[in-house]
Amino acid sequence: MICDFCKKNEAAIHLIRVQNDNVEKVNICAECAGDFSFFSEDDFYKDLTKILYKIFRADEGQLNSRRELKILNNLEIRKNRSCSFCGTDLKNIKKLGKMGCPNCYIEFKNILLPIIKAIHKNIEHRGKIPENTSRQIKLEKSIRDLRNRLKREIFVENFEEAARIRDEIRQLEKNIYE
Amino acid sequence: MNSSRTFLHGDETGNGSLDGDSIILSTRVGLARNIANHKFPSSNTLDERNQIIKIVRDCIGSTGGLPELHFHRLSRLTRIQRQMILDDYQIDDDFVSKLPGRAILLAPRLSLKDDAVSILLCWDDHIRIQVSSPGSGIKKAYIMVGKIEKLLESKLSFSFDREWGYLTSNPADLGTALEVSIMTHLPALAISPEIAGFIKNLSKVGCSISGFSGINSEVTGNLFSISSSKTLGKSEEEIVEEMQAICLNIVEEEENSRKKLVEKDLLGAKDNIYRSFGLIKYAKILSFEEALELLSILRLGLDLGIIEKTRDFDLFELINIISDSHIISNFEIEGPVSDDDIDLKRADLIRERVLEE
Repeated sequence: MICDFCKKNEAAIHLIRVQNDNVEKVNICAECAGDFSFFSEDDFYKDLTKILYKIFRADEGQLNSRRELKILNNLEIRKNRSCSFCGTDLKNIKKLGKMGCPNCYIEFKNILLPIIKAIHKNIEHRGKIPENTSRQIKLEKSIRDLRNRLKREIFVENFEEAARIRDEIRQLEKNIYE
Repeated sequence: MNSSRTFLHGDETGNGSLDGDSIILSTRVGLARNIANHKFPSSNTLDERNQIIKIVRDCIGSTGGLPELHFHRLSRLTRIQRQMILDDYQIDDDFVSKLPGRAILLAPRLSLKDDAVSILLCWDDHIRIQVSSPGSGIKKAYIMVGKIEKLLESKLSFSFDREWGYLTSNPADLGTALEVSIMTHLPALAISPEIAGFIKNLSKVGCSISGFSGINSEVTGNLFSISSSKTLGKSEEEIVEEMQAICLNIVEEEENSRKKLVEKDLLGAKDNIYRSFGLIKYAKILSFEEALELLSILRLGLDLGIIEKTRDFDLFELINIISDSHIISNFEIEGPVSDDDIDLKRADLIRERVLEE
């Protein structure tokens, strides 16, 4: 097999990686392997696990620190715009990997949505909410939480508790519209 | 130099031994918040960052029930002091990559056994409340973080969106803005063929994995930092419970690997452990990275009951003590310090702590 990098020499190292059902193969010749700045020659021959860490680490989503998650790199910008509150434009957001202010989330919501969905696999906050939010939001959140609990109780066939939760949800729903 | 040691911990010498797990070494819980109607630190000016720092500082000064917190501006600390804070409070190096307009509040600790409570100001987000503690006490650390957040929230209004939760400068943190990390020591798993599958599975359940000291860190001393990375669509309690379950799982995997190691290649393991012992005993200089590798193997030897003439030591505590910043301040090395000076002291210190007399 020919080396994937120089496309010249016979490959001496064959790496196969399975990630989310994708199989990737990399073939490297000894000469090109030596050129990789991410491992020294010593490491290479001494300790294969070390090399694997380094190769995995070079790949997003495997061995990487949480802070390296630069999900905004995937931002698709058709027309550059700036946030009316902080003045940060989309190109800068992409470059920095960071939003400029809370208002950016409102103004660029549509562009962000697919990226946020891709990384979190979810687009609905289910954690705590600030104490000082409106009664309406708090009620909505309580109902959401109860619905999730209801699903769980039904799943484990605890119907008595499920019925109780259902009644509680009805009561809260009534409160919302009053 | 003496002052850099005492300013954090008084005169504590760190001789007390911790009783911790040798697999889950420590836990860190971090929670980000931004003050409503202000730009995030990445896009604001120095004046604006200083204003945020003042708002939070005033709020903390006037809020009862918080732990004692000492305020430090990063730009007014020496390089060694900053490094000590990073080491002791388990803060990512990136926090000190820029100094102006960044500050930190630290709860003083009497010993390395205590929880390390810090509030980081104007890093990626206005506020990051962080608690790290030895062992796997995720819930305890989370409760402490939650308590501080609640107290701050009673005075400050945080930017929040009903759909996306707490807004953060990096959309990867949106929602709960909560991160739970554990530092794990996996000497048997790391050399087993199962390691690749293990890493893959952790990524699948939404964890990110890195080396010892956060960003860009390579895996040294078989230490893996494992962090929760999904923040939207899960409640805080779910994130904490999931990470607790992951801890149990990791301990089980490592213990299985240790069993297999002993069954399959006892001689190889013994050889490796005694080689590390030999190096620790006779090496004159030891770099931090090399020391981590050797201590990891020696700790494994102790856990497996293979090695003799070695004192029981707490790996997490020892890692803290042998960091460059601790060596420099503990030994009061004056003037320009060469790497060799530090490495020499480190080798001495390790021998003193680890080998039987």
